[in-house]
Amino acid sequence: MLRVIRKVPVYLVLIALTVLWVLPVLSSFLVSFKSSEDFVSQTFYQLPSRMYFLTNLVTVLEQYRLLDNLGNSLLYAAVGTLVVVIAASMAGFSIVRLRPKFNFLLFLIIYSGTLFPFQMYLIPVYRLFNTLNLYDTRTGMVLIYSAICIPFSLFVYRGFYTTIPREIEEAAKLDGCGPGRSFFSIFLPQSLPPTAVVALFQATWIWNDLLFGMVLSRTQSVRPIMVAVATMSGYGGGNIPWIMTAVIFTSIPTILLFIGLRKFFIQGMVLNVSA
Amino acid sequence: MPCPGAPARRPRVFLEDPSLKTRDTLVSYLFILPAFALVVVLLVVPMAQNVYFSFFRWDGITAPIFNGVSNYWAMVTDPVIQGSMLNTVVWVVFTLVLPALGGLLVAVFVSGLRGENFFKSVFFIPLTISFVATGIIWTYMLGKQLGVLNGVLALLGIPLQPSYLTDVPLNTFSMIFAWTWQQLGSNMVMFLMGLGTIPRDPIEACLMDGASPWQTFVHVKFPMLAPITTVVITMAMVNSFKVFDIIYVMTRGGPYSSSETLAVSMFRETFTLFHMGYGAAISVVLSIIVIVISAAYIRRMTKRDLLYY
Repeated sequence: MLRVIRKVPVYLVLIALTVLWVLPVLSSFLVSFKSSEDFVSQTFYQLPSRMYFLTNLVTVLEQYRLLDNLGNSLLYAAVGTLVVVIAASMAGFSIVRLRPKFNFLLFLIIYSGTLFPFQMYLIPVYRLFNTLNLYDTRTGMVLIYSAICIPFSLFVYRGFYTTIPREIEEAAKLDGCGPGRSFFSIFLPQSLPPTAVVALFQATWIWNDLLFGMVLSRTQSVRPIMVAVATMSGYGGGNIPWIMTAVIFTSIPTILLFIGLRKFFIQGMVLNVSA
Repeated sequence: MPCPGAPARRPRVFLEDPSLKTRDTLVSYLFILPAFALVVVLLVVPMAQNVYFSFFRWDGITAPIFNGVSNYWAMVTDPVIQGSMLNTVVWVVFTLVLPALGGLLVAVFVSGLRGENFFKSVFFIPLTISFVATGIIWTYMLGKQLGVLNGVLALLGIPLQPSYLTDVPLNTFSMIFAWTWQQLGSNMVMFLMGLGTIPRDPIEACLMDGASPWQTFVHVKFPMLAPITTVVITMAMVNSFKVFDIIYVMTRGGPYSSSETLAVSMFRETFTLFHMGYGAAISVVLSIIVIVISAAYIRRMTKRDLLYY
């Protein structure tokens, strides 16, 4: 009994925190169901007079042409992640297993990309993209997203490949497998766990990026989704029900990914922190 | 098994074949090339260029003019940057207190509690949401007239209606709170992981010897959490230096640059005012701070790696 009583304050604090953590989500959902008139005339907890979510969604998609941006971000997330998976797994394999001269130095050079704040790259990349006519192009966006994601992904693959027993590869070598063959037929088929972590984590990151999208793109046909959503809000205002509808709509892909692959997400997060 | 049926003896000759060895070496570099090229061209070289640009006065259009360390000197004397540095320090300090220490406390109290999974999921919700979405959600929560928090205050009969995002320094703290809402969950996960690795025996021994749960925590559990704590603290500090999205969405650094941090000032100077050289200098200073903080951690990491190699 005494133990239960001692737990009461803990529960009270946790419940208070739960309210604080859940309230923003619930009120955001509620607001996205309101019309602009309801939003202005009601208080935050009142239910909308009519369900307006779909009307809001259609308005937002038409007025701000968010589908363009959604398409862009989908493309960046898919192609960028594909490039990263290929480049990082190959490099990781070579660094851990083929171990050419300077492999550790090469690793450190690539890995240094995780250290610096992104602000360090913005100006030169902006300039480079302008000279190469990559500014405000989809190719440019895919390239920069891939480059940003490679260091962490390499770290993941490198860590994973050290755990594959050396004997398997040596046996293959004795059987006459070259390095290429041993990568494609031994290492790659076993790479599902790191690939899941990398793909999930990097696709989410690309989808959620704001900074590079803002600096390296200008037109509707190139701008990624988060930039479009962020510019909808303007400074401290805008039409809240519309913006909230857009926020919820554009968060659905990452939330679904998260729910479906929660295990990998946590694994990736832990790796990201320890990287 | 790949390559089946190959004779067992032949490969020895095969491996010693010098031309094949050269080919293998070439292949091993080719495997690294795509990743290396992308990172070097788009990150490593730009980083060096950025340092170079920071010594120039440059508007992004006309030719850059060398002006030595003037940009760095200007940072020291610029009142906006001074304010921004102060805000950055506030962000770092309160990030350590709120999401980091908060994450530790929540982890300690939640672990083993009835309803552990429920509370864990609660703190997990925001992790799935982008910083942009977090910023917008909290912009609504903290709105002066129609915001939820002021609505709650009115419901409770508290005659206060703060303008969370325009009053200085309240705006910075409001955004730190939004950041905490987003980040606490990930720190909680880290600490829960750490707590999971602590063996039960010493703790039970302490409790048997009559130590209070608090004493057990301070003298046994917390020291055993040291590695995780180091990681969380380093990451919390580094990440708070990098905060950009939330501030950009919630206040744009305003009003009148009052809620800027260095990361936001860099963006404004560079891409709104086109003071490219000055922006570069700000980002260099920001990077130096981040590197110094993570230096201890990196050194440990690389040492471990060198041992492994």
